[in-house]
Amino acid sequence: MPPTSRVRSRASCACLLLLLGLPAFAAAQIVPSTPVTTAGGRLTVSGEMSASLSGHDEYYFNYSDYDYSMLRQVRFDGAGAFRVGPRLSLLADVRVEGAVGGGSWRVRPYALFVRLRPWPRREVDVQAGLIPPVFGAFSRRAYATDNPLIGFPLGYQYLTSLRHDALPVSADGLLLMRGRGWRTRYGVGNPAPDHGVPLMDGLDYQTGVEVHAGSEPIEASVALTAGSLSVPSLDTAAGGVQVSGRVAYKPVPGLRLGASASHGPFVARTVVDSLEGSGLATSNGQTAVGADIEYSFGYWVLRSEAIYSRWRIPAIAAPLVSDPLRAFAVYFEGRYRIRPGLYAAARVDRLDFSDITGNAGTMPWDAPVRRVEAGGGYSLSRNVLAKMVYQYNWRRGVIERRAGLASAQLLFWF
Amino acid sequence: MLRRLLTLASTLAAAAGVLLPARASFVPSAASPGTLRGRVDVRNAMMAPEPRPGISDLGVDLAYEGMDRRRTVVYFESAPQPAFEEGGEMHATMKQQNETFVPHLLAIRVGTIVDFPNGDPFFHNVFSLSKVKRFDLGRYARGRSKSVRFDEPGIVRVFCDIHAHMNAFILVFSHRFFAVTDDEGRYRIERVPPGSYTVVAWYEGIKQDSRTVTMAGDGRTVEADFTLR
Repeated sequence: MPPTSRVRSRASCACLLLLLGLPAFAAAQIVPSTPVTTAGGRLTVSGEMSASLSGHDEYYFNYSDYDYSMLRQVRFDGAGAFRVGPRLSLLADVRVEGAVGGGSWRVRPYALFVRLRPWPRREVDVQAGLIPPVFGAFSRRAYATDNPLIGFPLGYQYLTSLRHDALPVSADGLLLMRGRGWRTRYGVGNPAPDHGVPLMDGLDYQTGVEVHAGSEPIEASVALTAGSLSVPSLDTAAGGVQVSGRVAYKPVPGLRLGASASHGPFVARTVVDSLEGSGLATSNGQTAVGADIEYSFGYWVLRSEAIYSRWRIPAIAAPLVSDPLRAFAVYFEGRYRIRPGLYAAARVDRLDFSDITGNAGTMPWDAPVRRVEAGGGYSLSRNVLAKMVYQYNWRRGVIERRAGLASAQLLFWF
Repeated sequence: MLRRLLTLASTLAAAAGVLLPARASFVPSAASPGTLRGRVDVRNAMMAPEPRPGISDLGVDLAYEGMDRRRTVVYFESAPQPAFEEGGEMHATMKQQNETFVPHLLAIRVGTIVDFPNGDPFFHNVFSLSKVKRFDLGRYARGRSKSVRFDEPGIVRVFCDIHAHMNAFILVFSHRFFAVTDDEGRYRIERVPPGSYTVVAWYEGIKQDSRTVTMAGDGRTVEADFTLR
């Protein structure tokens, strides 16, 4: 093991040990058990620490765009809200995270925005900065405590073979990378091997402005942000702005219906610039629609969400990728509280892709994926939660890949 | 840290006192029972916890107003034997209102049934992981209520699974010699037989004070004030 890897590995282990010791500290009330409020009630700070462990994910089913498995990571999360006045707040969330047993650590602002209610008597709010994505329901579950399992839904995490900074020259180039979303390489744009993009990036917030109106039972939000759902990045095509919206309706307590839509530029500015003058650069963008439902009663919470995404990329050479590339992800999730402090949960998840035609025939442009994840959680104390989950994945590419992964997560929050 | 541990140790000792109240040595006689009253002054009272920052919310949260938390429980660490034998089914209520448990602090006797009605236009999920009483009432809507009977003495912390900032205390006693202070910190415990008692003022599990009080048996009112720093 190289020295740097050893240092990283030791750092990971130290963080893990620190986290594993937290239940004792929490029980002894040495660390806070509720959000800390100070500055006369204006500043509220909360934290969340989690460590997830699993076997090696050799087929990269759970890798995120941070190049490590979501089932093998340590994360420290500090969130704060500062109430400047009755109608203005500043919110921030800073995360320190890295892979267990090596890999790079990163410190990044996850959220950083102002929240304003311009008219006190009207239910209209404005948020600006690094804001939460408007699209989707799983995006609202920012804290790990909101996820009854450990893995993310495929639509929010699974890396497709599509990249925004590199394009396949032809349909054959794209089909060659089927099922290799964790490391793809294409002939146009960035020549370095790198990961693809998920349907929606569930790990990053978006830069822009959002307006929210209404309250229960119906509310709506519209946002103008940089990039697209897959790549909420500032380096997507110049002049393009993502427009996204969401409507949520709660007809009765416990039932929420949601619908979302989004359209924005997808291909990186550098790639678009390199195609300038060829007439190809205009074909660029991601359009997505989503629907979600949540129903809870008694000891049950049931959720389902579907995302349909369509990407347009420049068709450069034959056989052409002339039609938009489509993908559809859907999951069903349920949680049941068996007894105080103990619950069971399961999620069934699938991700499908549209067909394209290459010299080898017609087939989905990326390998379809299925996932079943089931497990449970036990609260060691009110704010220390241990989860045990088993996940089984299938990927139907040229070679079918299957992987069963047992994972555990220890989570502390205040 | 040492200070925190000492505070914790004293809190646990207090909890043990509530769990296993000793029988006080008192002389049954024809003497008149008295009244114990006084005031508890809480310095640096805790603020009600705010919700976790809603970083994924798309708009302003429901206006949340944390309640003032200056109420304490004053109780006898030891009590006359007959006090443990007084029975009868009792009822108490802890409502969920504006994302707050009302009251935040409830003191009851063993055997009391506590109702938890939901007064908010959305779901709550009342639960407790306390060793004294573990329960989970599930999610239920406005206008509905569920109940829990408390059969063991001790301290029960109550939370909502949906709204993490909601929390409350229920102190369960084996005897009737306890009182929750009012808005101004005053308390009153009546019909106290003659004898010498250790009286404790308890606040949120983090502050407490105790003193010995002697009831002469002449029917008079005895004053005992506390200051919790």
